[in-house]
Amino acid sequence: MKTRNVLSGLMGATVLAAGLGATPALSADITITMAAPDWPPTRFMKEHFDQTYQSPDGNNTTLDMDFIPWPSFYERVAASLTSGEQKYQMIVTDSQWLGAFVEGGYYLNLTDKIKEDPELQAIMQDLHPALVSAYSTYPHKTRAQLEAMGPAPAEGVNYYGFPQFPDTYVTFYREDIFCNEGEMAAFQAKYGTNLPCTYEDWQDTDWQKWGQIGEFFQRSAGEMLAGETLADDFYGIAYQAGKGYDFSTMAINAFIWQQGGDIWDESKMPDAQAEGVVNSDVAVAAFEEYLSYLQYMPPVAQTGQMDIFVIQDLYMQGKVGAIIDWVGLGEPVLDPSASTVSDKSAFGPAPGTRKADGSIDRTGNIGGQPFVLTTWNSDEVVNEALNVVKWWLSPDTQLAATANGGQSGLMSVMAMPEYNGLRPWNRAHVEMIDWQKDVWHIPEFFELLTQQQEEFDKAITGQISAKDALDAVAEFQQELLEDIGFIE
Amino acid sequence: MAELATDNLGTQGAARGGFGAWLLDPKRRGALLVTPAITILFVMNIFPLMWSFGLSFFNYKASSPRVPSFRGLSNYERVLTDDKTWERFQTTAVIVGSSVLLQLIVGFLLALMFAKAFPLRRIVLMLVLTPMMLSFVSVGVFFKLFYEPTFGIVSYVMNLFTTEKFVMLGSPAGAIAGIVIADAWMWSPFVMLLVLAGLVSVPKYLYEAAEIDRASSWRTFWTITFPYIKSLLLLAILFRTIETFKLFDIVYIITEGGPGSSTETIAVFLYRNAFQFFQTSRSAALAYIVLFIVIVLTNLYLYAVNRRAQEAN
Repeated sequence: MKTRNVLSGLMGATVLAAGLGATPALSADITITMAAPDWPPTRFMKEHFDQTYQSPDGNNTTLDMDFIPWPSFYERVAASLTSGEQKYQMIVTDSQWLGAFVEGGYYLNLTDKIKEDPELQAIMQDLHPALVSAYSTYPHKTRAQLEAMGPAPAEGVNYYGFPQFPDTYVTFYREDIFCNEGEMAAFQAKYGTNLPCTYEDWQDTDWQKWGQIGEFFQRSAGEMLAGETLADDFYGIAYQAGKGYDFSTMAINAFIWQQGGDIWDESKMPDAQAEGVVNSDVAVAAFEEYLSYLQYMPPVAQTGQMDIFVIQDLYMQGKVGAIIDWVGLGEPVLDPSASTVSDKSAFGPAPGTRKADGSIDRTGNIGGQPFVLTTWNSDEVVNEALNVVKWWLSPDTQLAATANGGQSGLMSVMAMPEYNGLRPWNRAHVEMIDWQKDVWHIPEFFELLTQQQEEFDKAITGQISAKDALDAVAEFQQELLEDIGFIE
Repeated sequence: MAELATDNLGTQGAARGGFGAWLLDPKRRGALLVTPAITILFVMNIFPLMWSFGLSFFNYKASSPRVPSFRGLSNYERVLTDDKTWERFQTTAVIVGSSVLLQLIVGFLLALMFAKAFPLRRIVLMLVLTPMMLSFVSVGVFFKLFYEPTFGIVSYVMNLFTTEKFVMLGSPAGAIAGIVIADAWMWSPFVMLLVLAGLVSVPKYLYEAAEIDRASSWRTFWTITFPYIKSLLLLAILFRTIETFKLFDIVYIITEGGPGSSTETIAVFLYRNAFQFFQTSRSAALAYIVLFIVIVLTNLYLYAVNRRAQEAN
């Protein structure tokens, strides 16, 4: 009896001590250093985190963002990871890098964490399947494969990332000239079809009309545009045609996919081939169509340097009527201190290829970035980083991010009635996200991409034909992928 | 006096005995003084060189956790039998040849101009020297914007004469010319400085004598001026060839190696292999081939300089 009392007393004291000391004993000072590209969506994340984040575990958490300029982002992250400095606990990463850095042992496999956590499961199931496919799975699973496997986390699938900023490309256009009555009448008279003015008009715009717009608005200094005399040359259209990074692949893939062609399909390895697929007649025709519209674009297109930032800049200078660019680059366009067209811009879905039934296929290459966790984090840091993920992907945070130039990948958030009104491109983003596919995720993606960009660049600058370019790409990919055993 | 005092200290220390005294012994003091410098040199230069040289014989990828295996000379064989490597060497040779020649011509003409006195000479000289004090990145960005066909100044000026936008970087030849002009703009002042040093060292009485002899300008230049500047010109060629051979920043910023790969120098190719494709061992092999070429070039020049010096003696 006496022993029992002593034991009961000890237990009571322990429980009391644990109860009183629970918060100080479990809470910890945690700093999460995140590698992030320096642009508005990540700047907002840091700002909003500092204002609103409360750790559900009672931790005193600091989000230390290492903002890195876009042009050197890959090199800086890669150098940090491979040097072994273990600086980052979280990384905003392009989806294409998953293979290289998962195989390198740097990105943490979150599959078990998701299986253990109903909140994370709910998030995964609410994310748009195109994003789960592109941003999270490695080895890569297509959207169709994931949908066949059932809700996330599906058996046999490895999950790594969550959307930090899900991006799509949309059309930015000058409402003042596209909705000018005189221009509309002239366009109608010349082409027998309407000049797209409203969002609904852009929903019915295919590449053929895109080319007509380019031809129609290509004007020299001194000519009239929407009732005003042009002080400088003006161009109708622009899209990506740059040698750097993926600045032509993203646009060309869209043409190829929309017309029924394909790139080398990693989800079907080792049976998927490069030769005969990458340079198929359909792919060549699609690439030729892409090239055919470059003549209507600003002359920088002829140098192979028309990247996403150049077209954004030319548009903001008022030198181009309509561009196709990422939503993530939309915010500066509306800033009067940076853009001459801030009060004249509107947004629509990107053009696509018209099918036999009259519908338009807008399949495109997904942009944006997921964020991932690194493998050297302690359990405590992993759990807190996942708390940050849950905070970021909560409806309130997602709405706030969207209102400040971000985008959401959560279907429940995108379906909210106020969503489309938060920013002028949101409706187009919601429409475009359903069309997204991704390029390769294998560790050798940079070799594939660089060689492809070089060959595309030769075609863009008129040195070789579309067929020669795709033949060279197919041959290189076949050889490389056979060498590493991805093609048998 | 100071030496004597230090020696006395050492002797006193030695007399007291112990490790400090042994270390400060005048016989060891020299080695002691150079040890920090040699240690830093070894850690920062020699060890990384040896390490990367060792890596070039393995199949190491910095992005992969796989344990590398010994591959002998296969990386060297693969690099040297790769058509891309030779294409990049050719591109580099064209850029080096054109750029160094242009720098010599412009630098020489500038030096001739500044060898004579004229109003505001010092201020103009300072302005002319400015480009070589700028960073490569700044120069690259300047020229990229100059060449921009929609709003760049080069296109604007050409447009006044041709009514067409001038797309300088749209063809391989134009892109190479663009890089050569940017590099020559930056480094011609360096050549000018060296040549100017030679020009001002020519004794004035030689020119006076030539004038009395009614020697032609060409004769005066060839027999009086050139002998004084030729060793400095060789030095300029040596420095600029080695530096231009390693040209990276300007190329990467202005063209990224394009159109296609027509302006991709060996330095850009090396960078892509090492830091984008993570072909660490293969790129180490290529780096040592480049180093070997630079050493050969340097020795050729040094041989030429020594030979001329011997002839002069």
